[in-house]
Amino acid sequence: MLSSFKSEWKPFEDLARSFAAKELAGKAEEHDRYPFGEFFHDVLDKACEVGFLGIMLPGDLGGTGGSVGTLCTVLAALCRVDSSPGGIIFTNALAQELLLAADARDIAGEIFGKAPSAGEFLIAFPSYSNPAHQDNLPEYRRSGRGYSLTGPVDLLVLGGLARRAIIPARSGPKRQCSFFLIDLDHKGVSKSEPVFTLGMHACPAVDVRLDGVRARLIGEEGKGEEYFDRVLPAMHVVAAAMNAGIMRGSLDEALAYARERFQGGREIIRWSEVSMLLAGMAVKADVADMCVTQACQALEQGDAGWSSRCAAAALHIHEIACEAVTDGIQVLGGNGYMKDYGQEKRFRDARQVQALLGSVPARKLDLIRKVAGV
Amino acid sequence: MLSRAEVSNRLSGFPRFEDMSLSLPYAPRMPRGMVRETREVVAIARTFNDEVARPRALELDRRTHEDPDYMPLDLVELANRWGFYTMWIPRIFGGRGYNMPSMSYFAEEVGSACLGIMNVIGVHYLGVAGVVASANTRLAKRILGEVVRGEKTGNPCLIALATTEPGAGTDVEEVELVDKGRVACHARRVRGGYVVNGTKVFISMGHVSTWTVLYAYEDLKRPSETTVGLMVKTGTKGFSFGSHENKMGQRVCPASVLVFDDCFIPDDQVLFSADMVRKFTKKPIREVAQRYIDYVVGATRPGVCAFGVGAARGAFEIALRHASTTTMNGTLLINHEWVQSMLAEMYKNVTLGRLAYTEANYANSHRGLYKILQLKPVYYYLRLMPQAYFDKVIAPMLEKDYSTRLMGKLSYDWARPEDQRCCSGWASLAKVAGTDLGVRNCQMAIELMGQTGLRQDAGVEKMLRDIKLLQIYEGTNQLNRLNMFKCLIAPEIPQARVFEEDR
Repeated sequence: MLSSFKSEWKPFEDLARSFAAKELAGKAEEHDRYPFGEFFHDVLDKACEVGFLGIMLPGDLGGTGGSVGTLCTVLAALCRVDSSPGGIIFTNALAQELLLAADARDIAGEIFGKAPSAGEFLIAFPSYSNPAHQDNLPEYRRSGRGYSLTGPVDLLVLGGLARRAIIPARSGPKRQCSFFLIDLDHKGVSKSEPVFTLGMHACPAVDVRLDGVRARLIGEEGKGEEYFDRVLPAMHVVAAAMNAGIMRGSLDEALAYARERFQGGREIIRWSEVSMLLAGMAVKADVADMCVTQACQALEQGDAGWSSRCAAAALHIHEIACEAVTDGIQVLGGNGYMKDYGQEKRFRDARQVQALLGSVPARKLDLIRKVAGV
Repeated sequence: MLSRAEVSNRLSGFPRFEDMSLSLPYAPRMPRGMVRETREVVAIARTFNDEVARPRALELDRRTHEDPDYMPLDLVELANRWGFYTMWIPRIFGGRGYNMPSMSYFAEEVGSACLGIMNVIGVHYLGVAGVVASANTRLAKRILGEVVRGEKTGNPCLIALATTEPGAGTDVEEVELVDKGRVACHARRVRGGYVVNGTKVFISMGHVSTWTVLYAYEDLKRPSETTVGLMVKTGTKGFSFGSHENKMGQRVCPASVLVFDDCFIPDDQVLFSADMVRKFTKKPIREVAQRYIDYVVGATRPGVCAFGVGAARGAFEIALRHASTTTMNGTLLINHEWVQSMLAEMYKNVTLGRLAYTEANYANSHRGLYKILQLKPVYYYLRLMPQAYFDKVIAPMLEKDYSTRLMGKLSYDWARPEDQRCCSGWASLAKVAGTDLGVRNCQMAIELMGQTGLRQDAGVEKMLRDIKLLQIYEGTNQLNRLNMFKCLIAPEIPQARVFEEDR
């Protein structure tokens, strides 16, 4: 839907829609059974083949060289059908953007330039938190010519799938934060079973305990929060695009059901109470698309002053998405609560997506501090 | 000052004073023993939470994901041993006879630990309400007697209630809608009983219940005038179970598909029918059927509110624990002002929800299904007489036709329509309020807890999955809002029509 605002995004949207129709449609519930069912390695490999795992990564580093708008268009189209692949692509893009923000092109080139498979291309990252708000990050210390990390990392997304991870850690009396690249196969890494979470089951996370794990510094020491801040505006919008897609999917399914289901002698869409629910969902889905598009265009043009607007747009879109998917279940009544339909998954996934990049209250406080300059 | 007539005149305007607050006039009429009894019920629920519900809630939820065919037989046995399936069955039927409103407090307590486990206990009482509201004392004595024996022998006997059909959910909750709906569960009158064909869906605890209260229709084109209520025993020829539903939450409590294929139900298991109703009232069967539905949902929807309040409280308690033990920027969350404000808002939601079910219970206690039980002399009589008296003196009377006729007259012929509207309207109000507030609190807790809130092992994400069902079952909140309008607002507006919207 985003391509209706900008025709340049149309080929990517078409690609994502055809990928979703072929690989995801009708299988979302099956994919979502993980960790109690099989993981969809085949889908992930195909996503890697078509370039979805490196959309914003420059071409010379092994990526597609797309813009934030391209990534948003692809994720909105995928999440309309199943948001788990969206979560994987999001996490990988976040890790890649951090490498670029830290000007660690050498590391990026080493990883992505010759990655033969999805497993090599993935980088795990704790994408549900903002290191600036985390008091319990691992500790780092110098070790020979490099560094070593010790401590817990909760909800390390893709930690069970990727070979490498980017980990924020603190050290020293000022508790400055830096990012490090670690090898998840290192003997000092102990991983939990996949953590069973509210939504996006096929975008799994594990809890990790690091014990003297060899680590490579990304960028400069003590600049972790600055790098994270630098990638936040675009990644906020990317997360918002995921929820815009989830909302659109919920509206699709609610509309289709309301046209078919009879109650009180007519299709339920012909009762005005149901129509009002649908109208509310349609308003929210359209507003979300417009917000995402506008934010993407501003980011692509490098407009000044858009960082807090991106955060605001994302907060708003996540909030209305969580409302819309609730109504999306109500329209289907009891069926909406069952896994045979897609609405209950969207209800869970929307909340999960909202939690990307840190807790909502913390993001609101950050926003107003930036806006007010305090 | 105003004359008595003027006061009366002023108070009869909309909203009528008697509809504004039910606790104000009715609290003083409440037998004092109810307070002591309710305190005991809450203490029992808290013990059960500590020993069973809290330690097992998350493990069972996980198990149902690993094994979608899981059935809570062990939980049912436990609940049976704790006496929960007879706790609110009146003593005249052999039960423990705790006062009905106390069940709401129990539901809030156990619901705060796990809504799924609470439903494993509570949905049985939807079946009990279906039996008792029929006024058929003979059959009530037989079925409820089996429940009581099931407790004594350690073989749980539960009652499910089957209304929803694949093509009709909202329609079967309202007589005004059912004739336009797509009901398909047919009861054909034959010599000595009925033969039933059809399917029921989303029937909580169907698979593990011994009896099912089944609603079917003699004429599918005129269901409102041909509703029959039948008691069907699990194992009856022609009655089988389909799959059980793959739900988002409350997974420990199965929702079953019930299939009836030429299933014969003998006359002595007919709970409610046009022929039976004619024995005690001349009112049209449509009206009696609506009253029957209202009695059942009027009593059970405040219970759903209490479930919702339970989840609201559970979410609040988890958020409170998290905030008391987690720091942000070096300061405990609990000492951030925004956290204190959120927790206060959640506490407010719990309290408002509790007030809603309390008011709705006052409606039922004094103007609804169990109003006779709450009259002080009756209450103390039922509490204090020895059980042998009920077994030997009262029980044989329940078998007699005059007993059913008397109950029928009391419940249907002599009941005032305004009382029906009050109970049904308040029940819907409470249901909508309690469940919406519950969802709200779960959402707030997840937001407050950030990434921890997403984890199943933190408890609150399960509560969000569990509570969402409450906005749907016992009538969607959308239907309940319309029922509130119909019962509490429309009677004041002559031109208002409900369920008759122009296309």
